[in-house]
Amino acid sequence: MRSFLYAIAIGLVGAALLHIVIILSLPSFTGRDAYTRVQSLGEANRFYPLADRAGDTLAPINDDPAMKTAVCTFSLENGPVRLFAEGDVPFWSLAVYDSASNEVFSMNDRTSVSGALDTLVATPIQLIGIRKAVPQELEQSILVEMRGEEGYAVLRTFVPAESRRPAANASIADASCEPFGPDQ
Amino acid sequence: MFRTPLVIATALAVAFGLGILSSIYALRATVGFGAITLGPWTAFPAAQTINADPYAKAHRARDGRLLLGGAEGLVFTAATDSDNRTLAGNCRYEIVGITPPARLWTLHATDRSGNPLPGARADLPTGLNAWSVLRGADSTFSIRIASSAVSGNWLAVPEGRAPFLLVMTLLDTPTAGSSGVIDLAMPGIRRLDCADA
Repeated sequence: MRSFLYAIAIGLVGAALLHIVIILSLPSFTGRDAYTRVQSLGEANRFYPLADRAGDTLAPINDDPAMKTAVCTFSLENGPVRLFAEGDVPFWSLAVYDSASNEVFSMNDRTSVSGALDTLVATPIQLIGIRKAVPQELEQSILVEMRGEEGYAVLRTFVPAESRRPAANASIADASCEPFGPDQ
Repeated sequence: MFRTPLVIATALAVAFGLGILSSIYALRATVGFGAITLGPWTAFPAAQTINADPYAKAHRARDGRLLLGGAEGLVFTAATDSDNRTLAGNCRYEIVGITPPARLWTLHATDRSGNPLPGARADLPTGLNAWSVLRGADSTFSIRIASSAVSGNWLAVPEGRAPFLLVMTLLDTPTAGSSGVIDLAMPGIRRLDCADA
């Protein structure tokens, strides 16, 4: 009888260890975390507007009827990425996440320079090079230091009424998420 | 003769059974620590950051949602009314009051896993926001949540008895950065009546 009590006690210790291991390692194994789901939308360096209804794919959906969301995955391996968007919307916001879906940077239209989105995402080393001689087209841009090389950007616009939807769609369709080259 | 294997099997069964079940339970029950709770509403201002606790990180990796960044806003979710009764589709509710300081807000209903509920028809009001809501003279609002049409601000939910969640998103709000510093108040959720049919 006593050995069974020992067995249960050891089992409880094992359960606690297993619980910790599962919780800590789960983010690497789910296969349906936000970054993986965003990657299933398609190629990188393009803003994809999200569908309003869940389909058969992993792709994330637009989870607020009053917001229109677009997502762009990018890699900084071959240089910085410039996020640019403007449009006649009452509110927009941007969040940049790393590949583990940790927030790197977020802003909204009030915290932007001229009301338009103009942001350059770069690794710390790339930023040193850019800051040495800021190109003319980046003078108004917000420079964001990225953790790691892979990540994604989420652009949200506020759609208070159906009549505002065309403007929001146009703003997102024109949004760009392209690699920034010094000679462009 | 079978005593030793049986003892080992017991230890293993307890370890794996309890370990797995407790992990599933912890992930279902919570999005992690660090919640702001205002009446029935709950928000997790740090869930998307690198400083989120392991439970929040595991939860968001399993959920795969696009969370709002700190400068974007804060999402409040309510699963119950102000008297702690689960929100259900066969009841009518009223949300009265004002929101914490925020530039804009949106309100919609979702199912238990967080997917927005579709309207029975495409043109039903499945979402309300700071621009579309009608306010009283003192800038408070009163929103009725029901499956059949009501006067005033109406948020349509599908017919049936299914439980649902209310999601209120505050956009560009100082609430996200200053939990507890400002005296915050979210509007209450009052149950009006229920159809028991």
